[in-house]
Amino acid sequence: MARAEPPPATFERRVLRSAAGHHYLRVRLELPDGGARPNAAQLKQLVVAALKELHGEVGAALPVDVLTYEEKTLSAILRVVSSGFVKLWSALTLLGFYQNRRCAFRVLQTSPFLLALSGNSRELVLD
Amino acid sequence: MAGFADLNVPQGPDKKGLQSLLEAAARLGYSAVALNHVIDFKEKKQEIAKPVSPSELFPSLPIVQGTSKQLKVLTRLTLVVSDPSHCNLLRSTSSNIRLYDIIAVFPKTEKLFHIACTTLDVDLVCINVTEKLPFYFRRPPVNMAIDRGIYFELLYTPAIKDSTMRRYTISNAISLMQICKGKNIVISSAAERPLELRGPYDVANLGLLFGLSESEAKAAVSTNCRATILHGETRKSACGVVYTVKKLRKVEEEETVPASKKAKTQA
Repeated sequence: MARAEPPPATFERRVLRSAAGHHYLRVRLELPDGGARPNAAQLKQLVVAALKELHGEVGAALPVDVLTYEEKTLSAILRVVSSGFVKLWSALTLLGFYQNRRCAFRVLQTSPFLLALSGNSRELVLD
Repeated sequence: MAGFADLNVPQGPDKKGLQSLLEAAARLGYSAVALNHVIDFKEKKQEIAKPVSPSELFPSLPIVQGTSKQLKVLTRLTLVVSDPSHCNLLRSTSSNIRLYDIIAVFPKTEKLFHIACTTLDVDLVCINVTEKLPFYFRRPPVNMAIDRGIYFELLYTPAIKDSTMRRYTISNAISLMQICKGKNIVISSAAERPLELRGPYDVANLGLLFGLSESEAKAAVSTNCRATILHGETRKSACGVVYTVKKLRKVEEEETVPASKKAKTQA
């Protein structure tokens, strides 16, 4: 008795490389105490100035958005097109001064997905 | 994965500043830091003192964030050479140089760069980032250095401080990459303040700016640094290698007739 063989399973594998259009960065500006803290608009201006200093006018024209900003902790979430991700990150790394005060940008997390920035295992405190 | 390391932290006289620098490095995720002592031969003759052991300077080392291990602190010596006679110090076997964990040389001329890559017994060759290179890199000495296990060091803190230095850093780095194709590169800070330090992934991203690929850039902060530290350790420990080879016993010797008997039969 011939048994009907089930049709062999077929599957298709799709690999999407850099399919996400934007990259998200959670950053914190480290400013030694004393002196005014930047508000959201000043932070955006600082980011654009950093890009201009390192990558010129083309870098400064990169579409960067400040999605959230907390003035108390000076931490922000930035969004940038994926093609300009390396440029933005390197510009933030090489930024040294804000209003003639020494500062440093600490990039805490980066991800092509915004949801991934919601939890940070490095700041996890285990009791 | 090899832990991240920052191989150039200038050792100043300020102990509290150094302590805050070490704490910042541990918080950023660096597993090892090398305290750098720079000797410049152009100034009047300086004595090379014995390296101060880090355990004496810092009674309690900070714990690296994300692990439970303490920060590893090594000692490093950098010789700024502008004359071939300065290299004689490296060849002498009885001096305090041997006690440092890592030895680096900073050549100022092309001839010295060639000597450093081919014959000098060092771990790192520093590449000038603060001014335009007075010489072009050539392939033969760079390839010989790669074969010998010598790494080229680039600094990134001058790029943070000044925009002219930024240009020199990137242009010197790019010309080095063209010759060495991204192999044997170490990127380190020369940070004097905690605010001049950058996290290891930020520094790896800077490597992308210099023309490295992603894996090479990450290796420049982790794997290559560990290789340099091991290279320094082997320099301290081994002077030569003795190995034995098993010699096969010749079976024919038993079958040959002793020479005296042979002469009689032939005669």
